Amino acid sequence: MSMAEPMKLSDWIKRFTFYEILVGMKATMTVFVQRIVLRSRKAVTFQYPHEKRDLPGTYRGMIALLRYNDMTEKCVGCDLCEAACPSRVITVISDEVPGEPMKRFAKEYYMDMARCIFCGLCVKACPVDALAMTTEYEWSVYNKRDLRLNKDQLLALGDRNFPTREEKIEHQHHNVTFFNIGHQNLPPMDS
Amino acid sequence: MELMIFAGAALVKIAMVMIVVLLTVAFLTLAERKVLSWMQDRMGPMEVGPYGILQPIADGLKLFFKEDIIPSGANWLLFSLAPILSVVPALIGFAVIPYGPNQEMEIFGVTIKPFVITDINIGILYILAFASIGAYGIILGGWASNNKYSLLGGLRAAAQVISYELNIGLAIIGVIILSGSLSMVKIAEGQAGGFWHWYLFGGLQIVGFVVYVISAVAETNRLPFDLAEAESELVAGWMTEYSGMRFAFFFMAEYANMILVSCIAAVLFLGGYQSPFPHYIIEYLGFPGMKWVEAVVWFTVKVYFFLFLFFWIRATLPRLRYDQLMRFGWKVLLPLALANVLITSIVVYFVRQP
Repeated sequence: MSMAEPMKLSDWIKRFTFYEILVGMKATMTVFVQRIVLRSRKAVTFQYPHEKRDLPGTYRGMIALLRYNDMTEKCVGCDLCEAACPSRVITVISDEVPGEPMKRFAKEYYMDMARCIFCGLCVKACPVDALAMTTEYEWSVYNKRDLRLNKDQLLALGDRNFPTREEKIEHQHHNVTFFNIGHQNLPPMDS
Repeated sequence: MELMIFAGAALVKIAMVMIVVLLTVAFLTLAERKVLSWMQDRMGPMEVGPYGILQPIADGLKLFFKEDIIPSGANWLLFSLAPILSVVPALIGFAVIPYGPNQEMEIFGVTIKPFVITDINIGILYILAFASIGAYGIILGGWASNNKYSLLGGLRAAAQVISYELNIGLAIIGVIILSGSLSMVKIAEGQAGGFWHWYLFGGLQIVGFVVYVISAVAETNRLPFDLAEAESELVAGWMTEYSGMRFAFFFMAEYANMILVSCIAAVLFLGGYQSPFPHYIIEYLGFPGMKWVEAVVWFTVKVYFFLFLFFWIRATLPRLRYDQLMRFGWKVLLPLALANVLITSIVVYFVRQP
């Protein structure tokens, strides 16, 4: 309301009876009565450590390394995840599989999850679907170095979160294959 | 001997009132958080005890065992004095609040009044005087902390409390004119015989009542007038540098002040312990000797109504801007209170013509 034009009588009455404030107080009281007296309304908040929110299947949590159903690692040490990572989380040190010169694997695999932005580009980049995002998020630690996960920890994450594993199919002769499985077989959504 | 009995009875009354007030203070902190969360679709404290009812004890223990920090640039004496200056005036006001009927009791030949600690004939004036001292606690605490936020909060509190104290004083003058006494006991007694005899309705002190309630919220530095604390602007205002028990004293002072202004509002405008009906319900039921129980219950209900109103307003309204606060206090409430005094006195003069 501009101050130039004179106020109408109804506006004056509203001002002197605190009409707008009473409308607001009615709103809060309505919620209060619905919560306490009528019991028709529930709190929107969760008692977090005791009850947790249902997460969607596509939730981007901690990243895990996966295995095939014969418990061999999927990762072929190609370094594409390291190249895709925008915040340089991943360090891959790959090596030849002993006795099979055309096959490679990740001798060491580190993820500094303290830097991870959970963009999922590494999962997209992986040609053998060796990476997956879990729904784990309760990873507070006292020392940030504890968030630099090694290969064993990442594989344990995968074992914990994806109990059903992909079947290993050798597409080509094991001596000449480089990537041994097709792409984009994402882990099942309901796991 | 008589003096000793009198002093003993007074000490017992003081202890009772202090225990009740401090327990109420403790559980008001919980009640406030619960009521606010219920109005805001939250749950409030739920961890300590069933539905969080032991939260005040946990809070008290935590504050008690916290490290007591005095900032290096602070004025040690005033920094320590400010919480005491804040909490003592808040608690001392309860001395003149009548929380039950004006009965007299004989113990070993000494006449005492069991439902008021002391019935001095300037009761309301005494409360107003001590409430003003409470402002010193805030101002000195803000200044002695040697912190910009504290100083700003203290200055805001000074201006605000002084402005709104004036309105409180003027708002209750209408009631004082009607009752013809400054004694809280006499004011409460004068409103007997049903709610149409209360000064709010019977004395038509509606304007005075509204001005008093708004000013009381401002006087206790509560939302929407919490400019002195203003956590989104001034960290915690005058309490920024306080921790541990000193902070707990400020906290206690705030809630004790809330209870005090609620008691005053109940006594002055809603008849204090008086029943809203011509007689007490328990008298209709045939136990006239037990009517003091019902009187105390009525008083408690009225006080809690005001305390709930404080929470309700806090849940609803955002904080005023500083210039809005000052304009509202000086340009709206003060003229309203003055007009109320004028009209009440004129009407009383003509109605009570001999």
